[in-house]
Amino acid sequence: MKPRHLDSAVFLISGTGIAYQVILMRIFSIAQWHHFAYMMISIAMLGFAAGGIVLTLLYRWSAGKEASLLRKFSFILTLSLVLCYAVSQALPFETYQLATQPIQLLYLSLLYLILALPFFFTSCCILLAFYLERGHVGRIYAVNMIGSGAGALVVVLLMFLVQPAAIPYCLTFMAALATLLLFIDGPYPGIQTLFLLTALFCVGIVVGFQPIRISEYKGLAYALRMPDAKIRAEAQSPLSVLTAVESAMIRETPGQISHRFKAKKDAILPDQIGLFFDADSVSVINRWEQNPQEPAYLDYVTTALPYHLLDKPDTLIIGAGGGTDVLSALLHGAEKVTAVEVDPRVFPIMKRHFQVFSGRLWDHPSVEPIQAEGRAFLQSSRRAYDLIQIPLLDAFNASSAGVYALNESYLYTKEAIQLYLQRLTPGGILAVTRWLKTPPRDAIKMAATLIEAAPDAGIENPAAHMAMIRSWNTATLIASRSPLSPLQVEKIRRFAAEREFDLVYLPGIRPDEVNRYTILEQPVYYEAVTAMLSDKRKDYYRRYLYYIEPATDDRPYFFRFFKWGSINRLIQGMGSEWIPFVEWGYITLLATLIQAMAASCVLIVLPLVALARSALSHKKYPTIPILMFFFALGLAYIFLEIAFMQKYMLFLAYPIYAIAVVLTSFLLFSGFGSYFADRFRGKREALIVRSVILIAVLSLAYMVSLPVLFQAASGWGDAAKILMCLILLAPIAFCMGIPFPTGFQKVTSDFEACAPWAWGINGCASVVGASLATLIAVHAGFRIVVLSACLLYFLAAACYFRMIRSSVSRL
Amino acid sequence: MGKNKIILAVGLALILVPGFFLCSPPTVTGREDNRSRVEMVNDTIRARGVLNPQVLDAMYKVPRHEFVDYSMRPFAYADRPLPIGHGQTISQPYIVAYMTEVLELKGDEKVLEIGTGSGYQAAVLAEIVPEVYTIEIVEPLGRTARERLARLGYGNVEVQIGDGYFGWEEHAPFDAIIVTAAASHIPPPLIDQLKPGGRMIIPVGPVFYVQYLMLVEKNKDGSVTQRKTMPVRFVPLTGGP
Repeated sequence: MKPRHLDSAVFLISGTGIAYQVILMRIFSIAQWHHFAYMMISIAMLGFAAGGIVLTLLYRWSAGKEASLLRKFSFILTLSLVLCYAVSQALPFETYQLATQPIQLLYLSLLYLILALPFFFTSCCILLAFYLERGHVGRIYAVNMIGSGAGALVVVLLMFLVQPAAIPYCLTFMAALATLLLFIDGPYPGIQTLFLLTALFCVGIVVGFQPIRISEYKGLAYALRMPDAKIRAEAQSPLSVLTAVESAMIRETPGQISHRFKAKKDAILPDQIGLFFDADSVSVINRWEQNPQEPAYLDYVTTALPYHLLDKPDTLIIGAGGGTDVLSALLHGAEKVTAVEVDPRVFPIMKRHFQVFSGRLWDHPSVEPIQAEGRAFLQSSRRAYDLIQIPLLDAFNASSAGVYALNESYLYTKEAIQLYLQRLTPGGILAVTRWLKTPPRDAIKMAATLIEAAPDAGIENPAAHMAMIRSWNTATLIASRSPLSPLQVEKIRRFAAEREFDLVYLPGIRPDEVNRYTILEQPVYYEAVTAMLSDKRKDYYRRYLYYIEPATDDRPYFFRFFKWGSINRLIQGMGSEWIPFVEWGYITLLATLIQAMAASCVLIVLPLVALARSALSHKKYPTIPILMFFFALGLAYIFLEIAFMQKYMLFLAYPIYAIAVVLTSFLLFSGFGSYFADRFRGKREALIVRSVILIAVLSLAYMVSLPVLFQAASGWGDAAKILMCLILLAPIAFCMGIPFPTGFQKVTSDFEACAPWAWGINGCASVVGASLATLIAVHAGFRIVVLSACLLYFLAAACYFRMIRSSVSRL
Repeated sequence: MGKNKIILAVGLALILVPGFFLCSPPTVTGREDNRSRVEMVNDTIRARGVLNPQVLDAMYKVPRHEFVDYSMRPFAYADRPLPIGHGQTISQPYIVAYMTEVLELKGDEKVLEIGTGSGYQAAVLAEIVPEVYTIEIVEPLGRTARERLARLGYGNVEVQIGDGYFGWEEHAPFDAIIVTAAASHIPPPLIDQLKPGGRMIIPVGPVFYVQYLMLVEKNKDGSVTQRKTMPVRFVPLTGGP
């Protein structure tokens, strides 16, 4: 007997599944590191595929028991949400110890298994629902998609309201509701409900509320170990968890303070409050008593350079954080300071908790705090500034570990730098500061970006406009709208000499002026900048150990430095010591892809044995077309999803908005597409062909028109932007919802034993596709990702015809 | 039912047996420790270019296995960093030897260390110089290191639990300073407490691995030069013609 509320239950279960994925990703980004979180959750998502595979193997056994199995799986799913989360937090897994402690591999494997369980049960439930509605898989699929879209939206909203650790508990309610709906018309509704509630209660008692276990190697964990550390404020949003910590031992500066800075012992640095984002990258609030001469040390760091070249500049700071760079601007007499901060909680937290501590910095008459993403703000403001400062946005240690390697950053692309240069007043200066890594990478790439962006911004001869200095751990790069005057060049020399900072480049620099105070084996930075300013730039890029070509909006990976061509040199030159020199973000992505592919192979091949056994000799299944159809569709769908997230990230300014908008509208409108496909009474082949052609046309049209549209709409409010994105995505998402249920309907009606296998294949493809899309984007750009998706859709259409042919020949 | 039980038992065994071997260290005897230590010095440290006899001698003498957690003992003499809890590590032996060598100690110096950790580096220094001062901010680590160093007979090491940012004024100036855990800047008071002609060394890198060392030299005239030195063979940055 089919449960009466099947659709509602599927809706809730699907929503729970996707919400659980999103929240696990957040939780593990806080507990460990973003890229490892990505790896763990991606692999765990294979649980979804495993559901299909296991049901393929149990195909004959499960026949006739669908309804009762569905109830049982839904029940277990409800319990597993909290249990698996709690166990995952109890496991003493440490990312950093993977290389040194073999047992960590065991913990990691256990984590994969534990986290995969809820996805496994979700998948089983949905598949069983398909079985129960054999004739209308399109409808169930539509409900599944719409439920997932709703789940994505709900979890993002929840993240504004509740701390992340509580969300798995909230999701339990969603799953419990689904289970109750299934129990209502079950054989023993009362007893079963009682059983569910008792079990939930027991689980609740046993595991209790588990806070997130933060790795002992994260910045926040270090800060909280200080004997006087106190958490002064906390705030959560889908962007990150923000924790404000007070301790006399928090001492963060924008890079090395010159040893020429003399101060009394207790006046070196002001008291500071550390703001930790996701338990890591720290930004500080300085105690300030509105004394314009303080904090004096800010004149002894490399970021102070541009203030020595300009008089009372109208300054824009992109990434204000706790306000250190705003203080620096005021200290140096800036007339007006526009401070842009992307995180919506920073200004409120400072005003509410640290108003007195920060000397009412944000109410200062010269300071204008603006909550926005820097580039979007500049795009829409149309104002010009005397100085645009892009200070250090990440923490020193995280930077040296290369953990950002795959974070998209639209602040450092060629197009971004071009925009900054265009928004300078005639004598205005752009200043960018980066942490220095060894061997050198970031700062050189920054210089390359500037050199390549300058001509497009109307600066024909960048050599006469730019200068660069460095301390032992930071480099500040400046570019002036007008050529630097001899007086300015002299001032740069004096600034550097007085503080014992090294000159890297300035117009008319002599080789004997560089590499004097922090002595490198070779004057690498000087050599790099001069080579890149010459006509040998491309040659230099090619020969350099790391990838230092500028990032672009199509390939926004500023922090990707890893280069395959250098791997031999690294290993041969350093032997076993190459580990710290690798960019971990890239390696993690690769590791994810390899693991996902290996696991997918096993998951996909395993059921073939069972299928071969279940198929009678005259009833050969078209396994290859089925495999290719569902794999291609899975890849193509996720490729487009990720490509659009990327495109929207730049426009909507917040990654989380982009993810939420794209996920929700893709799933929602694909759901409508599936429903349409289910009701469609015409020829299925024609439907598939038309939808695939439309998808290709639309995606190519978007590729051409989106940048123009986004440019035109850059000044709109957030709500209008989000609405526009939703509407823009609707047609393509609608079409993308059509092929899967059409093919799946075919498989369910003609080759039913293959249906769960097909479902599993699609699940595998989504996981493999997610990392593959990123890898393609890193190397070839998002355009290629979109083009590949179109080709894959055509491939899928071709496979559909093969499937039809074999089902006809079987008749 | 019987079959199921067997499957369950085999499954459990498959998980538990390797787990047991991974978790429990093989027993290590004192003699094996000595042998591993000799191997560590000859095969790794000397082979990779640390030749200062005083440093090598110190590395021979300090029982590294005493400075790590019991479960880490089998790895104590492997050339790799090990976790010691509280987000801290004990650096790989080669790095410890390299840093000590770079300080160019003669044997009559006063050395300050910021970040005691396990106390291993302090012990190595104490084998070479008469006075070692070390400061640890994490109380449990500092206490354990103090007890350990006392137990092993390092009477010339003084451990303070507290904030290393301001150095140790009452014993300043120092001939050499080692700062582990470099943050956004080198604390200015430490440069003040360095004797003219003195050397300060700072390992820099992600948690477990040292990427390079910052060698800060205070010249006789009070000016300061810094040098990045690489503990590993350096790869040419630009390759090919």
